[in-house]
Amino acid sequence: MPQNPVRVAVVCSSNQNRSMEAHNILSKKGFNVRSFGTGTHVKLPGPAPDKPNIYDFKTTYDQMYSDLLRKDKELYTQNGILHMLDRNKRIKSRPERFQTCKDQFDLIVTCEERVYDQVLEDLNSREQETFQPVHVINVDIQDNHEEATLGAFLICELCQCIQRTEDMENEIDELIQELEEKSTRTFLHTVCFY
Amino acid sequence: MAQAGNSGDPGSSRRCLATQYFTEEENNAIESLSTSERVVDLLNQAALLVNDKISVLKQVQELIVNKDPTLLDNFLDEMIAFQSDKSVDVRKFVIGFMEEACKRDNELLPKLIANLNMLLKDENVNVVKKVILTMTQLYKVALQWMVKSKVISDMEEACWDMVSAMKDEIVTMLDSDNDGIRTHAVKFIESLIITLSPRTPDSEVPKRQENDISLDRIAKGHPNIKANVLQEEGKLALDHLLKFMVHPAITSINLTAALGSLATIARQRPMYMSEVIQAYETLHANLPPTLAKSQVSSVRKNLKLHLLSVLKHPSSFEFHAQITTLLLDLGTQQQEIARNMPSLKELRKRHRDEAEQGAKKIKIEPLAEDDEDKDLEPTAAVAPKPSSTQNTQSAIDITAQFLTPLLSPDNVANLVLISMVYLPDVMPASFQATYTPVESAGTDAQIQHLARLMATQMTSADLGPGNLELQADEDQKAGKDGKSDSPLIKRRGTNLKPGQGQAISVVGAPAPFQPSKEEDTQARRRPEPIMPSSQPLGVSGRKKIFRLTDVVQQLPVDKMDKLKLGAVQRILNAERVVVRSGAAPVSAPPSLALSSNGGSLSGGNNPFKNIYGHSIHNCLWDPAVCNQLSRFTHKEHSHYTLLLFTKLVLEAPCITDSALEVIRRYCEDETRIYLGMSTLRDLVFKRPSKQLQYLHVLLDLSSHEKDKVRSQALMFIKRMYEKEQLREYIEKFALNYLQLLVHPNPPSILFGADKDTEVAAPWTEDTVKQCLYLYLALLPQNHKLIHELAAVYTEAIADIKRTVLRVIEQPIRGMGMNSPELLLLVENCPKGAETLVTRCLHILTDKVPPSPELVKRVRDLYHKRVPDVRFLIPVLNGLEKKEVIQALPKLIKLNPIVVKEVFNRLLGTTHGEGGSTAISPLTPGDLLIALHNIDSTKCDMKSIIKATNLCFAEKNVYTSEVLAVVMQQLMEQNPLPMLLMRTVIQSLTMYPRLGGFVMNILARLIMKQVWKYPKVWEGFIKCCQRTKPQSFQVLLQLPPTQLASVFEKCTELREPLLTHVRSFTPHQQNHIPKSIMTVLEANIKTDMEPMDTKMLSEVRLHPFHCLFLAFDTVPYHTVSKCFTGHAVKWRDCVFVGKTQQPGLLE
Repeated sequence: MPQNPVRVAVVCSSNQNRSMEAHNILSKKGFNVRSFGTGTHVKLPGPAPDKPNIYDFKTTYDQMYSDLLRKDKELYTQNGILHMLDRNKRIKSRPERFQTCKDQFDLIVTCEERVYDQVLEDLNSREQETFQPVHVINVDIQDNHEEATLGAFLICELCQCIQRTEDMENEIDELIQELEEKSTRTFLHTVCFY
Repeated sequence: MAQAGNSGDPGSSRRCLATQYFTEEENNAIESLSTSERVVDLLNQAALLVNDKISVLKQVQELIVNKDPTLLDNFLDEMIAFQSDKSVDVRKFVIGFMEEACKRDNELLPKLIANLNMLLKDENVNVVKKVILTMTQLYKVALQWMVKSKVISDMEEACWDMVSAMKDEIVTMLDSDNDGIRTHAVKFIESLIITLSPRTPDSEVPKRQENDISLDRIAKGHPNIKANVLQEEGKLALDHLLKFMVHPAITSINLTAALGSLATIARQRPMYMSEVIQAYETLHANLPPTLAKSQVSSVRKNLKLHLLSVLKHPSSFEFHAQITTLLLDLGTQQQEIARNMPSLKELRKRHRDEAEQGAKKIKIEPLAEDDEDKDLEPTAAVAPKPSSTQNTQSAIDITAQFLTPLLSPDNVANLVLISMVYLPDVMPASFQATYTPVESAGTDAQIQHLARLMATQMTSADLGPGNLELQADEDQKAGKDGKSDSPLIKRRGTNLKPGQGQAISVVGAPAPFQPSKEEDTQARRRPEPIMPSSQPLGVSGRKKIFRLTDVVQQLPVDKMDKLKLGAVQRILNAERVVVRSGAAPVSAPPSLALSSNGGSLSGGNNPFKNIYGHSIHNCLWDPAVCNQLSRFTHKEHSHYTLLLFTKLVLEAPCITDSALEVIRRYCEDETRIYLGMSTLRDLVFKRPSKQLQYLHVLLDLSSHEKDKVRSQALMFIKRMYEKEQLREYIEKFALNYLQLLVHPNPPSILFGADKDTEVAAPWTEDTVKQCLYLYLALLPQNHKLIHELAAVYTEAIADIKRTVLRVIEQPIRGMGMNSPELLLLVENCPKGAETLVTRCLHILTDKVPPSPELVKRVRDLYHKRVPDVRFLIPVLNGLEKKEVIQALPKLIKLNPIVVKEVFNRLLGTTHGEGGSTAISPLTPGDLLIALHNIDSTKCDMKSIIKATNLCFAEKNVYTSEVLAVVMQQLMEQNPLPMLLMRTVIQSLTMYPRLGGFVMNILARLIMKQVWKYPKVWEGFIKCCQRTKPQSFQVLLQLPPTQLASVFEKCTELREPLLTHVRSFTPHQQNHIPKSIMTVLEANIKTDMEPMDTKMLSEVRLHPFHCLFLAFDTVPYHTVSKCFTGHAVKWRDCVFVGKTQQPGLLE
């Protein structure tokens, strides 16, 4: 459907790193893209592994930025969190939770299996209405900056391939298998209905 | 007028009210008028617009559907007209509009249904999908509408008929060859089944669908709608769906959709719970063999999800044992299962309710029961509860029941022992991936599960008591039912044996269902009252996905049995050979025998059959072939075994992943590279269906760390690259690798999956090269690729750039300077790729002179786009003399190594070998002269000096003769070049025998009044100083003032010169003018006249000195006068006169 841009959602756990990196790249490439998190809270690394910074989904990126800047400018500059938040707030104002979004998509890309499960669970728990199909694909990405960048490129390639198809639903299966072979990764892939 | 007292200005307020009222009314009027006008306007707009029709049409829809539905009828036709719009999106929108319109006003259904029917046959799949979605909604609407109306007109009946026809059409779309359409059909069927079955108290009802129609809402004696017929249709649809699910070639997405639909059906219509659970069980035991590994995990994940959702439903209680076992098999944690169980209390309550209602249910739903009676198996255990689930007992149930008591520990142990023989040596990857330890081994539940698993397999193979009974039952039913040759029932019959799809592949095809002619004619007679265009297109016109049953002829029973028997025996024999083959190294692989029998097994000569059979036998194949292949790798190999290796691979009907792995290992073994790769190549060419997979292995090897492996792989790929059909894939692969260089760090892909390297590792020369090998190999064959390199190069980091520059030499040279693509690259020279382009130019012109074409491009590039003089270096020899001289100031300012290179090129000193050296536009002399003439404002003296030094270093080029010419020419210039004397001194140091010549130069410089050029003058003095005593004669020719200035600068010259003069004969001394003597004797007189040519005749010098002075500058007769009275012969002059015109000496 070349005349109709594919509506893409990229989902990770906190809507900060992986999904936003992909959001960034995809929107630069002109995709109709949105990003979400599936967690109950937005979690960012803190001074110790057991002391994360926790926010709710209503907090804007800007607020998080100022908060962390105040807490420990050096630490959060050094681990790239401030830079990431700065990037994020240029894209949109605050993280969004997937479960609260009722908009429909053609393609949902998740960044780890747990998120994929949560997305599937949520979509299946919704009452079916239009029976419009949505394809859900999981691309495993470790939650660090470098992997997020690489992962975003992969997701971008995936989306470009899909956008290029004449008949997405008829070709997606094969396409994913080709991409699996090429990237030597495996993708979970399923279809849900709205 | 009491009011007047209260409010300040009653009149005005009343007026206000009144005007308000009027305006409101007016507004309304305008609005109602304008709604229809606006619609007209919008529709006109939409007709004219090209791009944004939809947003305009959306406004229309909003206006006539929601705002003012009275207008709906008026504008319906105008809206519908857009259904033939060119744009797919507009057509889809119109379909959505029809749906909304029909929902708003049911009476529109008969008008619109024919249009929908037409669109259902649209050529665009997305339109068809949209119609299916719409029909999912409208089927319910239509049914409701039919049920509501008491008296049914012909038109309404026709409409309903068409809806039904469309329903059938969509159901048959399960056979569509488009994956998406099949998925949509599945969802339609899901909704259809739910509509065409009664809602029961234990049904889960989504809020949105609370008011949807279902069979329990249709009164029993309804004049038009026969509920029992509809229910039958619903069951038929379920059968279709179940049958669809066990199709062995089902795609993972279709399967996923179907799994979800079944879960929904089970929860909303628990009466079908048993069918659903059974389908899940069958699927779990027989996942379609066509699924890829990741698809298997996706499907298993889905299955788990849906099983959990079904588990939550109270009505699944009876199936908890089966569901739990399945879930455990799928790797679900016990706690997770427990969490999803409905609470016990709820269950008990449910139970009670059910028991109470059970009795009523029979009365409430006579039709349901009626129908179920037909299905009732005679042997089915009669349950006390009338729960529908117990009634539909299938062959699997019966066989499982039969098997359960037989599974005693002894029997099972025997079974295990027997099966041991058939186990492969290595655990198949697929098994390893899906295996979960049996948690509940030995419990009753597990035994029952095992029995069911076995029953599923047996039923698939048409074995077991269940199968027999069912067969008998069916025969009986066929006999009882007079008209049972109706295809529908027959289909149902076969469907009761799920898993049959697999059975076909193993032991041959049972009779496929062929639509009878009667049905065809029936279809054609189907009433299509509204639009003629909606005539069915004819069954043959529609493509179908490939189904084995459609293309295979049935064999006579006895022949089939014989073949089956023969086949099994052959397999067994073959297996025995495997067991024994430990001793015999080169035995025929047993599975080869099996596969070659595969064709005869299926009884047809259809090639598909073969392929199909083989994919099923994957699991059998894998170990056999691999064993055999690996054995080759271990054993010493004779020529014979080598041949056999290739033969074995090429003749194997299916190369499994592990077999491919063995071949790969072969390719990596240095002693067998060629064999392995040529086998791989043959696979690529002879197995087109999987050629890309094989090609991929080869491509992978092209960046192998072993040189030999890599170069061999590259050689093969290069040859394959000539093949059109592989070209694109190879190219894509190469470019993908090339693209990796854009990353700041090497992606983990380069390290292989097993080596867990941290991502932050920097690029090394090796990793960079890894990305380039294949690309560089392809480059000489497809010059167009060079532009990709340029693009990547601009983005890559410095380290990568360096490596790239190093490795491109060979391929670029291979391309040659006449390559149009290379010329194009030079012409375009992307920003950031300048160094690359320069490097290419250098490589190209390294051995061969630049072609005029190349020179032209470089010249253009330099003049018009990137004025970097370095571009010119490679093509210097192609430029014109003037251009080189122009560029010279910039060239010599570059770093010394580069300057050296420039000079090498210009002087032709780089490559002594071969006569291919270009003819430089500049002779060595020209060059040196040009250097002297460089404007000192354009270039600093230091660079110029360094450059001249480079020249002097080339002794072979700058011989004394050359230098003499240079000096001669420089001296003639006016003004004198600044570096003249430096060069003179230098030349003299190099070639002392030039001394005489230099003296000549010095003397002539005096003529040119050299003291007027401070720098040169300084050099002049220095030169004299160095060349004393030779230079004394020259010094003596200086006018006194200048001589004095020489002594000023260089006092130590005076004494020796004086001594020299004093050593003259008195006669000679007489020739020294007084003024000079005065200077010599340190009595400086300032009023001396400058020397001119006239003086020459008076000054009597030593003949030799005269000679030096004489040539060129003085006319012949003057010179000859000088010689008068001296015994000098002309011949003596000749040695310095080499450069003179001989005429002068005559």
